[in-house]
Amino acid sequence: MAMEAKLSHTAAMILQAVNAGHIYGFSVMEMTGLPSGTVYPAMRRLERDELIRSHWEQQSIADAEQRPPRKYYKLTRAGKMTLEASRKRYPLLAKLISSEQVESI
Amino acid sequence: MTPRFALVFRGLYLCLLRSASMLVPRRQRAEWWKEWRSELWHVRQACTPEASGSLRGEQEVAAFCLGAFQDAYCLRCDLRRERVPLATTKGSASQCMLFLTAVTVASCGIALLLPGVRAELQPSHYRIAPGLVLIQSARAAALDSVPTISAEQFQVWERRRQHIFDGFAFYRVVREPLSTASRGQTTLGIAHASLNLFELLGLSMRFPLSDGQAPDNVPRIVLSDGVWRSDFGGDPNIVGHRVTVGSLQATVVGVATPGSWRLPGKVDAWLLGPNVETGYGGAGFIVARLMSSEASNLWSEKGHLKAPTPDGSLDDFLCVSLAERTRGPQDIFLFAVILACLALPATTSLPLGEYRQSSHKLSWSTRLRRWSFLLSKLALLLPIVYFVSLDLAYLRITFDTFTSEYIQLVSSFSICLFGLRWVLRDQRQRCPVCLGKLSHPAKVGQPSRTFLAWNGTELICVGGHGLLHVPEMPTSWFSTQRWLYLDPSWEILFAEPTVVSTGYF
Repeated sequence: MAMEAKLSHTAAMILQAVNAGHIYGFSVMEMTGLPSGTVYPAMRRLERDELIRSHWEQQSIADAEQRPPRKYYKLTRAGKMTLEASRKRYPLLAKLISSEQVESI
Repeated sequence: MTPRFALVFRGLYLCLLRSASMLVPRRQRAEWWKEWRSELWHVRQACTPEASGSLRGEQEVAAFCLGAFQDAYCLRCDLRRERVPLATTKGSASQCMLFLTAVTVASCGIALLLPGVRAELQPSHYRIAPGLVLIQSARAAALDSVPTISAEQFQVWERRRQHIFDGFAFYRVVREPLSTASRGQTTLGIAHASLNLFELLGLSMRFPLSDGQAPDNVPRIVLSDGVWRSDFGGDPNIVGHRVTVGSLQATVVGVATPGSWRLPGKVDAWLLGPNVETGYGGAGFIVARLMSSEASNLWSEKGHLKAPTPDGSLDDFLCVSLAERTRGPQDIFLFAVILACLALPATTSLPLGEYRQSSHKLSWSTRLRRWSFLLSKLALLLPIVYFVSLDLAYLRITFDTFTSEYIQLVSSFSICLFGLRWVLRDQRQRCPVCLGKLSHPAKVGQPSRTFLAWNGTELICVGGHGLLHVPEMPTSWFSTQRWLYLDPSWEILFAEPTVVSTGYF
C-alpha cells in the first residue's frame, strides 16, 4: 500500500481478530459479533489493500477431517504495522480481542 | 428437526448463495462460491448440530446466508470502481456529446419556430388522392417544369369520351398584375386554372369562402400563403374582397395552406374559373385522375400514353404519378444521407486505425463504451443534418417548393458528408480507453528517411493510456495510424499527485 490507511474501528477490530488467531471468516464473525455482510466485504478490502492475505487449506487435511477446505487469512507486514497504529488510535482494541487467544493451525 | 427438514433448509441456503453469486463478477465467482459454501458448512455445524437442530439455529444460518448478498454487492461495486473513468480534459467525450445535443436541440427549436418548417413537418400536406397523374408531352419529358400541353389539346381531351381518366384540370402560369383598391398593384405568378383544380388535387385552404358566398359569374382567386403574408399583411379579412387580375375581376376565396403546392410552376395565386385557363392560349400543365379500375394498373411512377392531338393525329404523352412529386422532406433527407455515405470513402479513409498489435487487452465494457460513443455521435448527427437543412431550406416562406427542396438536398448532403468526416476524424483522435482527445502532437522522423524509418506525428493520451502514431505519408508497411498501449511501467509519469485513500465502510 502506498500510504498507511486509517482504519475504521470495525476494520481495526477485524484486523485484531485475525491477528488474534481467528483466521477464517466465521470465527471472525463469532469473535467480533459482526454480521457476515460486514465481515466478509471488510476482509476482502483488507486483502485488496494488502493488510491481510489469504490461502486455501490443503484438500488432504480437509478430506481427513471430512469437511470442505477453508480459506485462511493472515496479517501481512503492512497489516501488522497498521494494526499497531490502530491500537494507538483505539486503545480498547487489545482488551476487546486479546492476542493471547492465538491458535495454532 | 427431522433430516428431511434439514435437507430442505440446506437446499434453501444453497439457493440463496447461488442467487447472491450472480452479483459477483464472473472472474471472481468460482472462488467466492467455494469460500461461502465452505463457510456455510461450518456455520451449519456450529449453529445446527445434527442432534439438536433448532429453528433459532436455522435463523442464524439464514442470516449468515443473507450477508452473502452484501458481500457480492460490494465486489460488484469494487469492479465498477476499477473501470477506467472517462477523461475530463478539454474536448472530453462528455463535452462532445453535450455539444452535439445542444446543436440538435437548437436546430430542432429553430425548426419549430420557423412557420415554413412547421408546415413542412405536417404529414397532412403530402396526402394526395390516389391515381392522380401529371400529363406531359413525351418530347419534353426531361424538363418536367416546362409547360408542354396547349389549351387546345386540353379542350380536345375534355370533350372526348374518357376510358382512362375521370377528371381533368388544366393550369398555366403567367406573370400578371394583381391590384386591389386599398393596396395598389403588384406583379405575381398567377396560375390560370380550371375551377376543379383544388378539388381534384384535394388541396385544402385557410379561411375558405363558402360556395354560397362566392358569386358564380366572377372568377375566384386563391392566394398563396407567402403572398397573403407579404402583400396583404396576413389579413384574413381579405377573403371575400374583389381584386383585379390583369383585366379580370376576381373574388378572393381563400389562402392556400403553406407548402401544399407541389406541381410545376412558381405560383403566387390561383385564378379559378370556367374558361380562364384557356382564355389566352399558351402552354400549360394537365392534372388528370385515373379511373379507379385503371389506377391499379399504374404499376410504376411513369407511364406512356398515346392520345389524339387537335390536328387529329396521335402523339406520345407521359403520365407522371403525382405521388412522385409529393414526397416529404424525409425522402430528400434519406436520399442525401445515402449519397453522402456513398461519397464518404472518396473524401476520407474509413478505418479508425490499428489497435491490435498489443498484448494489452481492453475489457469488453471499455470497448463497448468506445463503440457506443461513435454510434451516439452518428445518431446525434442525423437529426442535426435533418433540422439544419430544413431550417436553411424553409428559412424564408417566399421560397418556392422546388427552391426549398433543392436547398434541402444540397445542405443535407453537404452537412452529412462533412459531419461523417468529422465523426470519423474525431474518433481517430481519441484515446480508445478514456475517450479523451489526444494532445501534445510531436513530429517524429525526417521526411527524407520515409522509406528507412517512420516519419509522422505522435500524439499522447494525457491519461497515460497510450500513444498514437500517424504516418505523414502512408506506406505499404505503415499505411494507417497505429495506437500503442503503454504498459503499467509508464504509470509513474502520469500518477496523480495525491493518493485518495478509500474508506472501508
